[in-house]
Amino acid sequence: MEIAILDLTRACAMGASLFAASAVASPDTGTRENTGLKYWQWDEGGISVLIEQRLPDQTRAFFLARGFTSEAANVIGDGCVFKMDVRNPAATGSVIEYDLTQWQVIVDDEREPMMLKDQWDEKWRAMDLPSPPRIAFRWALLPIRQKLNPGDYNWGMSAFGFPAGARFDLEFTWLQNGERRSGTFRDLECAPDVESLETREAEL
Amino acid sequence: MLILGVTLSYPGLCPAEDDLRGRPLYEVKDRPPAPDFRLEDTEGDFHRLSDYRGKVVILNFWATWCPPCRAEMPSMQRAWKHLKARGIEMLAVNVGEDEDIIFTFTADYPADYPLLLDREGQIIKEWPVLGLPTTFVIDRDGRIAYRAVGGRDWEDPLVVEPLLKLAK
Repeated sequence: MEIAILDLTRACAMGASLFAASAVASPDTGTRENTGLKYWQWDEGGISVLIEQRLPDQTRAFFLARGFTSEAANVIGDGCVFKMDVRNPAATGSVIEYDLTQWQVIVDDEREPMMLKDQWDEKWRAMDLPSPPRIAFRWALLPIRQKLNPGDYNWGMSAFGFPAGARFDLEFTWLQNGERRSGTFRDLECAPDVESLETREAEL
Repeated sequence: MLILGVTLSYPGLCPAEDDLRGRPLYEVKDRPPAPDFRLEDTEGDFHRLSDYRGKVVILNFWATWCPPCRAEMPSMQRAWKHLKARGIEMLAVNVGEDEDIIFTFTADYPADYPLLLDREGQIIKEWPVLGLPTTFVIDRDGRIAYRAVGGRDWEDPLVVEPLLKLAK
């Protein structure tokens, strides 16, 4: 997998070619030895982004423990949930900002915005989920937008709403000291559900 | 029990205390006034933030299920024992959970400083908090002097020195 980082602002200002203004990074990606879950890690352009699979059952259990009904826990468990961790790794100086409303999910060349807290909350309201589990849900998700000073970081889940095993790209943007940057995580894969894991084990 | 052990050791999900070192506090420009509140703690006592005027207050927003919150709590507890003697108070506002959950949690993560309950998540809405944990340092005049987004090592000199300077 390749992730290209492109400093759009500088490229436009300098009239430079796209090629000259871009750099190609090799992100760290792989499988956690102790869980078998996949992760994707970006460390370029003054930002560190980790995306890591969560098993549907792991997510169901988490939200059942926060007061979700079985029905609602199944909805979010089946919602392609990842752990996401966004950091400003700088020791001093650099300030980064991100805004999830600007991030784009790409499936079969079709672009769409990420599903965010408010869309999920509409589902919980329609299911008459009471306030405490809805509060827990809102705070468990990665904040929609955030300014991160040196040493700051944030952690949370992101739920994309795809079926287990689905694959997609995620184009993400951020500002580094006010300068717009972007990158793409390619071929992100929603974690498989228990049935497919059992099938995989049986095949082995 | 086995499942819990695996979950807590999940790399990246549960930041170790080591991961918190070297992360400074961010100085808040112009020091805006800290929004006041009155909240009950897990012992049934009420705390009004403005009653702490004249002291430096570390105000932490957290939840038991939040891994970085758990990671920083041991260093908060250790630091508070020293900082209290220097006139620095610590308040931790739990968001959206009840006494029973917190009581169980503190068996593993002891905290002697007040644990306040924002059961409906109303107070946190008044503060510039987007994610947990977020911590504010409030100066003796009731203004927000520093902010930390994400966990910190509360014994790290990068964190302690600004606090002590503020309390002088």
